Amino acid sequence: MKVWTIIKKEYKQIVKKKSFIISTILTPVMMAGFIFLPMLLTKVGREEKTIIIEDYSGIVLKPFEEKNKASKEVKMVLKLKFERTFAAIENKEKQNKLIKEYEQKRAAKQDAQFQLIPEYRKKILDKTIDGLILIPEDVKETRQVYFCALNISDFGTNKYISSTIQKILSEKILTDQNIDLKVVEEAIRDVRLGTFKVKKEGTTRASSGMEYMMSIFMLTILFTIIMAYGQLIMRGVIEEKNNRIVEVLISSTRAQTLFYGKIIGIGLAGLTQVGIWILLAVAFMRRASLGIDTRILNFLTPELAIYFIIFFIIGYFMFSIMFSIVGASVNTDQEAQQFAAPITYLMLIPFIIGIMVTQNPNTLVVIIASLFPLFTPTLMFMRVSVAVPAFSQIALSIVLSILFTMFLAWLGAKIFRVGILMYGKRPTVNEIIKWIRYK
Amino acid sequence: MISDYVLELNGLVKDFNGKRAVDDFSLKSKRGEILGLLGPNGAGKTTTIRMIMNIIAPDSGTIKILGENFSEKLKERIGYLPEERGLYRKMKVFETLHFFGELKGMKSDEIKAKGQEYLKKFDLENYSDKKVEELSKGMAQKLQFITTIIHSPDLLILDEPFAGLDPMNIELVKDIILEKRREGITVIFSTHLMAYAEKIVDNVVMINQGKKVIDGNLFDVKSEFGTKFVNVNYEGDSTFVASLDYVENVRDYGNEMEIELKDINRKDVLLKDLVSKVSVNSFQVTEPSLNNIFIRKVNEGEAK
Repeated sequence: MKVWTIIKKEYKQIVKKKSFIISTILTPVMMAGFIFLPMLLTKVGREEKTIIIEDYSGIVLKPFEEKNKASKEVKMVLKLKFERTFAAIENKEKQNKLIKEYEQKRAAKQDAQFQLIPEYRKKILDKTIDGLILIPEDVKETRQVYFCALNISDFGTNKYISSTIQKILSEKILTDQNIDLKVVEEAIRDVRLGTFKVKKEGTTRASSGMEYMMSIFMLTILFTIIMAYGQLIMRGVIEEKNNRIVEVLISSTRAQTLFYGKIIGIGLAGLTQVGIWILLAVAFMRRASLGIDTRILNFLTPELAIYFIIFFIIGYFMFSIMFSIVGASVNTDQEAQQFAAPITYLMLIPFIIGIMVTQNPNTLVVIIASLFPLFTPTLMFMRVSVAVPAFSQIALSIVLSILFTMFLAWLGAKIFRVGILMYGKRPTVNEIIKWIRYK
Repeated sequence: MISDYVLELNGLVKDFNGKRAVDDFSLKSKRGEILGLLGPNGAGKTTTIRMIMNIIAPDSGTIKILGENFSEKLKERIGYLPEERGLYRKMKVFETLHFFGELKGMKSDEIKAKGQEYLKKFDLENYSDKKVEELSKGMAQKLQFITTIIHSPDLLILDEPFAGLDPMNIELVKDIILEKRREGITVIFSTHLMAYAEKIVDNVVMINQGKKVIDGNLFDVKSEFGTKFVNVNYEGDSTFVASLDYVENVRDYGNEMEIELKDINRKDVLLKDLVSKVSVNSFQVTEPSLNNIFIRKVNEGEAK
């Protein structure tokens, strides 16, 4: 079997490469880093932030400081430092007026810009302080506070500020009614939401943030290896074409044999790599003593590993066929990159839809998109990783994408056969269509 | 019926973008024969060879190899050396032989035996564990030549086999070609280096601008042109020779001249004239060289 000769050659050529050995070792190291890094980060803590509270109501500042000292959360995650302001009285009044103007305009549905007095602006821009909390006089009624800072995308800080003020106000209202502070504190204590995922094997602790991160992470790995191996095939084909080895190969065997031999050979190399990683992961994860978050362990199930392999194989074949068509149709790496770019975009679209998948993996749009063969390897894998889609849908997507891949292979072999022996100028799309029609 | 001919081309035509690269080209080659496909660069030699190898399809005409139409089975009986050389740079020398041998349907132990034999013959036995990229250009060429012949093909098609080889390796390749002929193998090779071809071919096919201009046995082709040629090795200024009235044509290489006379009987007059003006080291009546024949043919073609 000549195809076996080609498979062996392609497989050996990849597996013996230094880059193959390096990436086989390095990826698990990075993966371990990804798993341990969040744990490490929470221990190291975050940078300290200096925040000024400008309290015009006179009821928030003091309790806030006390709560901040007592809060475990702040010490663990946020490390905020609060300062009393020493701004002159007239400054305070000016700022208070600015806020009132802003609120009036907003109430009248006029365009309004929130304005800070220059002194505060300067402090924030100079980074002498990290942020400024403005608490209006009537905060008890309006429940509106303002947080001005360079960085407002730190959800932890934002949430901490709003929930702390919320508590302070609740306490204030209730203690004003002569209710004992202890009772009040007990009454407004936080409710914790534990998220648990229901699966056939049982119900396990999980968190949506973690699931999202893990599934995007797995998707990235899937995407990266499919792309890497696809590009490998493409470059191999271009090399053979450029140094005319292909003429010798074609004079020894069929173009189809070469085409399938290549794809299978390199695919097996990819599978070897993925297999090694999965084995390493299994060996590693089973060591509970390492203290890996159980939510990660619960996420990485054997079932998921199997789906990973299935979707890797399908995705690999689908995209490597496209990449080898590109390789056979062009003459240089530069030309190849132009043709390869749209293929990369095809693979990136699922990342965008991916956000929708994690929020609601079973909406119609997501279901249809995940059944679309080009998106199946990535999107269906993502759905499998965050929710449990109906098995019929998984099976359908696998069947559809395999059929599509077979069609692609049939088409690809035809283009490959003609393209690989064409030198000179880059073919037009019309010419490629003509190649498909050749008998 | 088994054909007498190992290779039979009939009326091959190939156009590239409206330009005719090969025009009504036919040839026949018997078993155990060396056929030189000669012509200048761009004459259509490589296009013809590619059509024989089924790499490109002719627009019209037929090709029969060993009496059959081209098929997958035939591929194992042909050895083909393309014009542009290339091997897998990261592959080891012996792995390369193994890969191409296996592709030609050879068994592993067969490859081992033959491979070692040829590596030795080509002075590469110490390199069998080296990567191709570590070889010199000449060594890589030799290796590729081995991959072409390792499976003992019945028909060898070599596109410019001497290109890029040093004189010693040219000798080596020439010896192998002659050895293959003794084994009854048909060798077809293209070259634009007429001098090398002249020494080994049985039959000559000359091609110019896609058209066949000469086809026949080397001896016949040469005698058709008669012995009107004189080869002179000399020192001095020889520019006067071209203007002598009994001289048809001169090719002057500086130390050596090929002079075509209108009548060979004037050779003594020529020698006298030469001696009076330059110092003559040697003076020999010869057959026309393929080079001369070719130039004559091309000029005739253009005159028409």
